[in-house]
Amino acid sequence: MIQVTALNKVYTVPKRGEGLWGSIRSLFSREVEEVRAVADLSFSIQAGERVGFLGPNGAGKTTTLKMLAGLLVPSSGERVVAGFDPSKRDPAFLRRITLVMGQKQQLLWDLPPIETFALNRALFGLDEAEARRTQDELIELLELGPLLNRPVRNLSLGERMKCELAAALLHRPDVLFLDEPTIGLDVRAQGTVRRFIAEWNERSGATVLLTSHYMADIAALCPRVIVIAGGALRYDGPLKDLAERYGGGRKVVVRTRDEAPETLGPFTREDGALVARLPSAEVAAAVDFALRQVAVADLSIEEPPLEDVLSKLFAERS
Amino acid sequence: MFRAFPTLLRIGFAEAVAYRAELVIWVLTATAPLISMFIWDRVAEEGPLGGWGQGEMARYFLLTLIVRHLTSAWVVWELNENIRTGGLSPMLLRPMHPLVFFVAQNLSAMPLRAVILAPLIVGVLWWRPELVWTPEPWTLLLGLVSAVFAWAIAFAAQVIFGSLAFFSQQSLGLFNVYFGLWSLGSGYLFPLELAPDWLRQLLLWLPFRATLATPVELLAGLVAWEDALGLVAAQVVWAVVFVGLAAMTWNLGVRRHEAVGA
Repeated sequence: MIQVTALNKVYTVPKRGEGLWGSIRSLFSREVEEVRAVADLSFSIQAGERVGFLGPNGAGKTTTLKMLAGLLVPSSGERVVAGFDPSKRDPAFLRRITLVMGQKQQLLWDLPPIETFALNRALFGLDEAEARRTQDELIELLELGPLLNRPVRNLSLGERMKCELAAALLHRPDVLFLDEPTIGLDVRAQGTVRRFIAEWNERSGATVLLTSHYMADIAALCPRVIVIAGGALRYDGPLKDLAERYGGGRKVVVRTRDEAPETLGPFTREDGALVARLPSAEVAAAVDFALRQVAVADLSIEEPPLEDVLSKLFAERS
Repeated sequence: MFRAFPTLLRIGFAEAVAYRAELVIWVLTATAPLISMFIWDRVAEEGPLGGWGQGEMARYFLLTLIVRHLTSAWVVWELNENIRTGGLSPMLLRPMHPLVFFVAQNLSAMPLRAVILAPLIVGVLWWRPELVWTPEPWTLLLGLVSAVFAWAIAFAAQVIFGSLAFFSQQSLGLFNVYFGLWSLGSGYLFPLELAPDWLRQLLLWLPFRATLATPVELLAGLVAWEDALGLVAAQVVWAVVFVGLAAMTWNLGVRRHEAVGA
């Protein structure tokens, strides 16, 4: 559904000196520098997949999404989305994709959301009966009923995002680009948006490419993640392997009835407990070993927090 | 696209209603022709000026007020705002040209503008009943056609200056310069008929009169048949030039937007 090959994006940014002298100089000599936002990025996504697109601020995530949606032209490289070259913004292409940006909105500010829905039905030239059915389905799933007739400006951020999602999906696109759809939302609203995206993906079979800084979004929604930093690909694979490869393994903590020894097999003592960080494959053997060697009072096996895994990955490679 | 137009007009009207307070203020801030009317009325009190008495003065400025409001555009502010804040991005991802959307938005506010203007018109008619005239059918028809061209030129001019926001932070400043020149050269503040001959000749070669004075003079029945056709022909030429320039600036701007993003 999405095929990206050796994608590059270089921005030319004006360089300005500091202070008054810098401003005056920039009037006469325009110094520019090139910033590489995306570097040789390649990946492909199959129809119906839900993929998390991760990276630190300024990693090139939004730039990539905009290139895939057809808003930005790459400096070089190829991309094919739903069989189209996005640059042309062919109406047939626009009817098959949607881009939701958590920080930009398309809802008509002073009118109720129902009017934006009507506008989008008209703009996308949708079959009225079918579009009404989709609209009703979205209203039910997102529980929009009480919000439909209130001006958008009177809605909370979470309510607006739910309406934004509905407006963006009325034309039943095959590809959803979601750029931080949960940004700024409270925990409950985040949960609602998350559950909705999963449900919609199940129902419609649409492909989802999602960026988020909330790891709970990624953990709940994306079996596969693509990590970029400095515009380049750092990791592309299953989410569970990411923790395995970069998280330093799972953390096995054994609390003993008596005082724990300084070391025991793979374990060392930390804060009075025996702790070992191991690849998944070695966890069972280590637990078995500990159970036989010491009197165990409590035992826990923890996944490394995704945030830690990612900050380690970003720090290591950037 | 045509199927979507009725919905676009309906929603544009709903937006205009939502912004009604703002719209009333806009209409009231653009009542300079009324102020001009009172000033020129006093001047004409002494005796006809260039053949114009108080009735002709009132007729001219009332029509200026009406034509100005029913051919006005505000797309320069819409474009400026949406380009700077990134609001244009979602518009570019709809299968309809953003400018078609703005055209519909512009046209759909006209009925409400007319309603807001109505009491002002009634007031002027009550104050100077002698302004009432019986227009010839041909001047009325040509005047209406001319008003459509006036709107097209005004809209295209605003698209040109609005699209400059793709390149510069100063696009609204540049538009204000254009607006200043327009106020002086379009017949908005004084009838061009009363301008010195050299200025009148010069203005015949500039676009400003095509956006206001031409339809006003036609509707007021102040233009002879043979001059009328020349003035409307000039409007057609300016419309082609402005629409062409608007398309060019827009396309170059969008290409830049695609290169640097927003």
